[in-house]
This record gives sequence, structure tokens and C-alpha cells, in this order.
Amino acid sequence: MKEKKGLHFLKRRGIIETIGISTVVIIWQLVASFIVKKTYLLPSPYEVFFAFYTVREVILVDIYISLLHFGIGLGVGTAVGITLGALMGGFKLVDRAMDPIMEILRAIPPIAWIPFAIIWLKLTHYSAGFVVFVGAIFPILINTYTGFKSVDKIYIDAAKVLGCKKGMSLIKSVVLPYSLPYIAAGTRIGMGIGWMCVVAAEMFGASGRVGLGWRLWNRFYALHMMDKLVAYMIIIGLIALLLDRIFRYLVEERTLKWRKGMVAV
Amino acid sequence: MNHKLELRNVTKTFNTEEGEMEALEGISLVVKPNEFLCIIGPSGCGKTTLLRLVAGLDQPSSGEIILDGKEVIGPSPDRGMVFQEFSLFPWRTVLKNVEFGLEIKGMKDKARRELAEKYIELVGLKGFENCYPYELSGGMKQRVAIARALATEPAILLMDEPFGSVDAQTRNILQEELLEIWKRTKKTVLFVTHSVDEAVYLADRVAVMSARPGCLIKCLDIDIPRPRKRTSVEVNEFREQLLMLLSLERSKACISV
Ligand SMILES: Nc1ncnc2c1ncn2[C@@H]1O[C@H](COP(=O)(O)OP(=O)(O)OP(=O)(O)O)[C@@H](O)[C@H]1O
Ligand SMILES: [Mg+2]
Repeated sequence: MKEKKGLHFLKRRGIIETIGISTVVIIWQLVASFIVKKTYLLPSPYEVFFAFYTVREVILVDIYISLLHFGIGLGVGTAVGITLGALMGGFKLVDRAMDPIMEILRAIPPIAWIPFAIIWLKLTHYSAGFVVFVGAIFPILINTYTGFKSVDKIYIDAAKVLGCKKGMSLIKSVVLPYSLPYIAAGTRIGMGIGWMCVVAAEMFGASGRVGLGWRLWNRFYALHMMDKLVAYMIIIGLIALLLDRIFRYLVEERTLKWRKGMVAV
Repeated sequence: MNHKLELRNVTKTFNTEEGEMEALEGISLVVKPNEFLCIIGPSGCGKTTLLRLVAGLDQPSSGEIILDGKEVIGPSPDRGMVFQEFSLFPWRTVLKNVEFGLEIKGMKDKARRELAEKYIELVGLKGFENCYPYELSGGMKQRVAIARALATEPAILLMDEPFGSVDAQTRNILQEELLEIWKRTKKTVLFVTHSVDEAVYLADRVAVMSARPGCLIKCLDIDIPRPRKRTSVEVNEFREQLLMLLSLERSKACISV
């Protein structure tokens, strides 16, 4: 009975959502074609739809390149962030030594690193990747640290009586699995920030003349092709949404099933 | 000598912000093999502290703890412990929780699984192997904790008010099951409680602890044959004695048990 009710609810939510989106698109179309009437001020949905069609080939290349930059930055950011966060969470000395510097570095907006990214890594994929790295690392690091710090002592004690000696085996069997939800949450935030950084770094041409950001700014904006620009904006948003959904599905629903009882999802 | 576990004049002092705090004062105690010994005492008298010392999770300030002729210096799977609070690893299923100690030991997959399943069945949770702790009731969680503690086949089982947070009826059932397990596995059990009823129903001997700083003030042999009837005259007599002892002010001298 409960299930039926749930399904019914979902169905209605689907309908309401469709109505919501359609309303916005219709209003947008009406405003664009009857009030603004200038494509470069506000392209209409109809024009944007055709813009998608005209950029359909180049957009795939740009998506691929931007995802590559994102992957480089997120990969390195995750590895370094988890390692540093674990070290800081596990060793008081490391914590005290690194905390002030991390606080300062964290306060610098990742975009301010673009000049050095270009100077250090030249116009390669790595320089946009570096900016993503700077954007993604801190939430991952801080969350890993928090996870390590908040392990309940009871689990450590239980593991010890079951034969876990100090050190690595405790970290591997207790601290790490306990911290996994924290790390996952940090990674999810890091992904969001990282994706913004990709677009910004590419706009500045950090990796040369490639990527969604580069084309959006240096082609479509420069040539006032606002219909294509909006098409790119939509794609950038959709990819962020998709990445988040995929992550949630793969990590939170599969690996972290055990947390269902602990948090209100 | 017929000693499984011996505590010789064990004391524990905690360093707190307000200075030193004496939690245990001169505990001397002998537990025989296969014995079911209950330690009973008011809240805060140092029962958990005592069990943690035996488990090796804390070090005594003075005195020694000897298990099977060897001094206890740190935690080891030869002493299984069931904690007062829920201690199952929430990220592991029932089966994986019970397998934990065996995994650490380096036991092979198949042997590990078989052994874990045996103990899960022993505590009556067959069919719940793949549940996560959040899916279990309080009583079931403590059963898994017992299975987990038994799985490494420890020489002695340390239980810290394991049934303190379940309702009275479940508690009675769990007590009966524990006695059954104890009979079958022939373990030595050191069981801490603050419930007089529980102590009299379970124990071969009940050692009574005084309020803080804790020390043992009396030991009673509960020589009632099992299965015991919770409402029988003998049981009530012991209950009365224990209640009387617990209500005593701190005037009695410490004794060796
Ligand atoms: N790590 C610690 N540091 C300082 N004081 C402690 C520590 N552990 C326990 N104590 C103190 O030692 C005393 C005994 O505590 P313990 O937990 O052993 O009591 P208990 O008999 O198990 O009580 P309960 O029946 O409520 O579980 C308490 O006053 C407690 O505050
Ligand atoms: Mg206690």
C-alpha cells in the first residue's frame, strides 16, 4: 500500500516538474521573440536548439577535452587530498605543522592560480588540470581530516581486542572505512568546484585553444554568437549534474549503503 | 593452581584536569576455568575500568593481571570483549563483523566464513548474515557482538553490561541464551552488571564492588543448580543479600576474591 502511494507521488512529481520546465521555456521564448527581439541580448530557446545542431561536432571534442582536464585535476586532487588529510588526521605533529599553511592556501581562490599554472605547466592539459586540482583538493582534504578525527573510540577499542595492532591495520580496517562517507562528501563538493575551475581556466586559455570554456569565451562571446554560447552553458550545467548523479549512484548508493541508518538521506 | 585469570592488587588512577582520580583501589581476584563470575557494583564504581584493564585496553597503575600464567600487557584476541555500548562496525554486515577478528588473523576466506557462520548460528541469527547493523534491533546487535567476540575463540569472555540497553523481556531471553552458549563453549566468563537479578540468575559467583574508588567488598557463591527459577526462594535470598550489600555505605574493608 505504501509503495503504491509512493509511485503515485512520483508520478505527480514528474508531471509537475515537466510543467515547471515547459513554463520557463515558454516564457523565455515569448520574452525573447516579443519583448527583447535581439538574439545577442537573449537568444530564444528555438535558436538555442538550432545552435546545438550546428555545434554538434565541435561540442563533443570540447566535452572530451574539458572532461580530460577535469579528470586530471580531480584524480590528483583526490589522491593528494586524501593522503594529506589522512596524515593530518592521523598525526598531531603533521596537523600542527600544516594547518596554518593549509588555511592560507585554502583562502586563495583557485582561479588566482591560473597565471602560475600557465607558467609552470605551459599551455598543456595539465595547466587547466592544475587549477581543477587546487579547487578540488581542499574540500577533500578537510573532509578526510574530519573523518579521521571523528572515529569513535569504541570502534578502535573493539578492533584492538579483536587483534588489530596499532598503525596500518587499524587505519585500513577501521579509520578508513569509517571516514569513507566523509571522504565521499568532500569529493562531491570538490567535483562541483573543480568543474567551475575547468571552465574558468579554459576561458583564460590555460590549456591553449581547447575546451568548453575556451570556446565559450574566445569564440562565441568574442563573435557574439550568443545562441551557441547558451547551448554551451546548458551543456556545462548538464555535465555537472550528470557527474554528480553518477557519483552519487556509484558511491553513495552502492558503497555507502550502510549509512542509510545513520543519516537522513 | 587452578587459575584462569588472576588480578593481584590492581589499582587504577586517572589523571584528570582536576588532578588524580582514583578509580580502582586494590582489586585482588581469581577466576577459575569455566567459571561464570559476575561483578556487580553501583554506577561509576569502576566496573568498565576493571574490564578494560583485563582486556589490555588500559594499563593498571599498579598491580598485575595474569591470564593463563602470563601477564597481560596489551589487547589480544585471546580475551573477547563485549562492550557496554554498541560497538559493531556499522560499515560491515553481520557476517563481516563476525569475520573481523579472523580476517586480522589472516584466516582464509572459506574457513573464515564457515567459522563465522557457526557463531552466527550459535547466537540465533542465521538468516541475518547480510544485514547491516542499522537493520538490527538492540538485542540482535548485542548477539552479533557476542558472536564476534567468540569467533576468535578467546580463552575468556569479558562482558560489560551487555544487556544493559535492551528491554526486560529480551534481556531475560538473552541471559538464557548466554548460559546456553557458555555451557556449550565452556568459556570462562567475567560479566559486569549493576543488576542484582541478572547477577543472581547468571553467576557461579558474584563479587560485589564498593562505590568509587572501587574495590571488592564481598563475594557470594550462588550455589543454586541451573536452570534457575527467577522467582524461587533461594534466588530471592541472594537478591536480598546483594541489595543489602550494595546499599551499605563505604565502610567495609577491601577483600581478595
Ligand atoms: N579515561 C578516563 N579518564 C578519567 N576518568 C575516567 C576515565 N574512565 C573512567 N573514568 C572515571 O572512573 C570512574 C569509573 O568509571 P567506569 O566507567 O569504570 O564506571 P562503571 O562502573 O563502568 O559505571 P557504569 O555502571 O555507569 O557503566 C568514573 O568516575 C569515571 O568518571
Ligand atoms: Mg561501565
